[in-house]
Amino acid sequence: MINRREFLGSPALLVATELFGAPQDASKAPAPALEKLGAAALREAKKLKASYCDIRINRYRDQNVSVRLSPERGTGKTLEVPGISDGGSFGFGVRVICDGAWGFAASPVVTAEEIARITREAVTVARASATIKTRPVVLAPTKSYRDRWSAPLERNPFEVPVEEKLELLREAAAEVKKGKQVFMAFGTLSFRSEDKYFASSEGSSIQQFLVQTFAMLNAGGVDIGKGLSRNRSYIPTPLLTGWEFVRQMNFPENARRIREEVAEHLAAPPVTPGKKDLVLMPSHLFLTIHESIGHSTELDRALGYEANYAGTSFLTPDKIGKMRVGSDIVTLYGDRTYEQGLATVAYDDDGVKTTRFPIIEKGIFRHFQTIRDQAHLIGEKESRGCCYADSWASVPFQRMPNVWLAPGKAETTLEDLIAGVDDGVLIEGRGSYSIDQQRYNFQFGGDAFWEIKGGRKRGMISRVAYQSRTPDFWQACDAIAGPSYWQQYGSGGDGKGEPGQTNSMSHGCSPTRFRQMNVIVTD
Amino acid sequence: MYTREQAQKLAEKILSFSRFPECAVTISDSEDAYVRFANNGVTTAGFSVERRISIASTRDRKSGVAQTTEADDGALAAAVARSEQLAAISLANPEHMEPLSARNYPELAGWDQETAQARSPLMIPHVKAVIDNAVKNKLVAAGYFERSAGVSVTANKHGNFGYHRGADSRMSTTVRTPDGASSGWAAQPAVRIREINGAALGDIAAGKCRRWNNPQKIEPGKFTVVLEPTAVSDLFSFFGFSFFARNAEEGRSFLSKKGGGTRLGEKMFPEAISLITDPFDRRVPSLPWSFGGLPNARIAWIEKGVVKNLAYDRYWAAKTGSQPTPAPSGLTLEGGEASLEDLIRATDRGLLVTRFWYIRPVNPQTLQLTGLTRDGLFLIEKGQVTTPVMNLRFNESPVRLLENVQKLGRVTRCRGGEGSGMLAPPLQAANFTFSSISDAV
Repeated sequence: MINRREFLGSPALLVATELFGAPQDASKAPAPALEKLGAAALREAKKLKASYCDIRINRYRDQNVSVRLSPERGTGKTLEVPGISDGGSFGFGVRVICDGAWGFAASPVVTAEEIARITREAVTVARASATIKTRPVVLAPTKSYRDRWSAPLERNPFEVPVEEKLELLREAAAEVKKGKQVFMAFGTLSFRSEDKYFASSEGSSIQQFLVQTFAMLNAGGVDIGKGLSRNRSYIPTPLLTGWEFVRQMNFPENARRIREEVAEHLAAPPVTPGKKDLVLMPSHLFLTIHESIGHSTELDRALGYEANYAGTSFLTPDKIGKMRVGSDIVTLYGDRTYEQGLATVAYDDDGVKTTRFPIIEKGIFRHFQTIRDQAHLIGEKESRGCCYADSWASVPFQRMPNVWLAPGKAETTLEDLIAGVDDGVLIEGRGSYSIDQQRYNFQFGGDAFWEIKGGRKRGMISRVAYQSRTPDFWQACDAIAGPSYWQQYGSGGDGKGEPGQTNSMSHGCSPTRFRQMNVIVTD
Repeated sequence: MYTREQAQKLAEKILSFSRFPECAVTISDSEDAYVRFANNGVTTAGFSVERRISIASTRDRKSGVAQTTEADDGALAAAVARSEQLAAISLANPEHMEPLSARNYPELAGWDQETAQARSPLMIPHVKAVIDNAVKNKLVAAGYFERSAGVSVTANKHGNFGYHRGADSRMSTTVRTPDGASSGWAAQPAVRIREINGAALGDIAAGKCRRWNNPQKIEPGKFTVVLEPTAVSDLFSFFGFSFFARNAEEGRSFLSKKGGGTRLGEKMFPEAISLITDPFDRRVPSLPWSFGGLPNARIAWIEKGVVKNLAYDRYWAAKTGSQPTPAPSGLTLEGGEASLEDLIRATDRGLLVTRFWYIRPVNPQTLQLTGLTRDGLFLIEKGQVTTPVMNLRFNESPVRLLENVQKLGRVTRCRGGEGSGMLAPPLQAANFTFSSISDAV
């Protein structure tokens, strides 16, 4: 057992809050106490002749507030069930390279003594791995930085009284529940903050602070007579921002909308399957971008590092600059600098300054997402800053940046996209999604579907999913609405790696049209 | 990791800071060691210690939950105070249940000292065996070997206390041809790490990789399938949720009856189908308690084709006058005596599936799922495996799969890329729906 007191050696407590200082601290230098702790790892690693060492000391805070309204069994009276939780996680992880192999170890006891012990553990792990290494780890060069950065934020949501959040959700859920066919109404607000400190044996010392805001309203409809259950959700796009964003969510109006739409969804006829044109809204298309382009352009997948779990990719290094993935109007960027993107940060978990780079340019595959230990494998000189670990206890590795689709011409409207469709479907929101391990064959559902007939949006339909193959899908893209329609949507919980890690990122896009997709009718 | 005495002391200390009438604590304290490999070399390896403490305080049916990873007195007192602050401003929860009085939790096996202490030196030779085999056969191996050991604690102010320590390990490998034209997979989960056999896994995966080479296109449609145990287990990762009585009664499960009520007691499946939870089975790790602190027990969900039990949390049990019943976890689909080869021999025309990947519910109510085959799909003709075929996407429900089961084989513990695995047999079933071809290898 690890007892914190044993490692402290004194009754003084190292409280994470004091260690990181206030987020609004204007200083450009990391907190001295963090630098002192970081130095303990670097010193120990040097003593043990590690050729590289970095330490991340991280503190996370998660708050979740929810309200569920559902009928009491027997009486039918609406019961209001609240949920409030507030949690933290604090610890550190050390990476070393010894004899050309990586080693990693982590602990929740943040003291200089424990940092030294865990650094020795990381060295032991690295030396064991080195006994069967095939080639030594090579790190692409990076500048060293001493900096402190906070994501722009007007009001820290953790400073907003929980009562205010609860009240907002109660009102919104009550509005949803007014719908006659709404069986259950649910609303939630979640906030996550990350205080992160990085120090490396190459001289970097970087402190950063990030806050993410998530929300959802859901209307669950049930038609017992027909044996049907359907949902409709309002998910304001999660963003790297604070309470000011919650103020813009307009829960009351959206609550009214989804309670009407869930009734429509329950009554909606099933789609007639066949080849149809699709108009995909940003609240839906973001996930298709994520699965088909985001994951297929990860270099670790392409090189086989994920072969045993997440899979490989249909894109391989020999296809850079050659393979046509999309039509001429399809351009996508990898970007960890875009304002309010969930994957936006100033420096990645390799200590590399983050970048924006084209992934697909006018339909042609241009660049993979990379980190320091991979760049040389495809002849690149530096990392594109895509290194991330989801916890102090996790190994940093290549994760997806924000990946966004460039908007179409300024004059192209959503109405233009719909007007050009004779027989099609307009899809909003996320539904079921599945894609193969090389990111070719996929099937996507949605949260709500509208029929398009003769160039006009008609009533809601149900039980829709479409299947395609990534290059076929993007090459069938023939129109993208202009920049005024462009919206950033995103998601948390993207899984990859063994042991599994999650990641959050944003995927901005405008409504986009795809010709002659294979639409199927589901259960 | 905490011993029972240390855990009890820690729980008592946390509860001593409580000023509210109700306080419940859960503690998890774990150590993991792992080695990951790819392209015939180790890529990452690590050792991590983690701890989570969750505190729920309640007064007048108003609850708040605070979590922390810090275990010193100051942090613990602050976390208890935070949970009480949150409770004070919360709403009264009409579904809140009185705290559990002291329960007798079952003593479960599931600890193995060697597993709990294993580190890289024990794991690396297995990794090396897989890699050596791949290199010898001019193939490329990737894989993962992990062991975990952890302590779980539940305690409350009303005298309830439960302590469990468990250990587990698993190794998996994917072996591919250097040109990426074929892929084979094998995995082994084991509570006792000494049972893991890297050399055997490397052999199975390499053999499958050789046999699946140059897969042929086959038109999707309805097929008789022979599913290896992992493929069965992959399809059942969402199944347990449907057995919650509340979901069924409220019309959100395949066990809901049209017009109201549930299908409890109905014979929905063939006689050979029995699905159980058995926390006493030494082959799988289990917790002595289920949600809300209910003692875990052996429960038959489906017995000889009849829906036998639904899961009731304490609130829903009180509302319906039923016995509180723990949630479906650690499922076992009971099997027969047939081997996988017997099932293949008994198939006139069908597809043999190694495992599935990226399974998502298409309709949570009917449990229609979609996903793809991966790492070995073969055509069976007249009782023989004849042709490797290209991967296919399926749109199918495990409910229909069970309805269509024709033969079941011997049960083994398995864990694929989906869910936490189960004890499953290989099986033969008719009319499994595949909907499109995938180019992925």
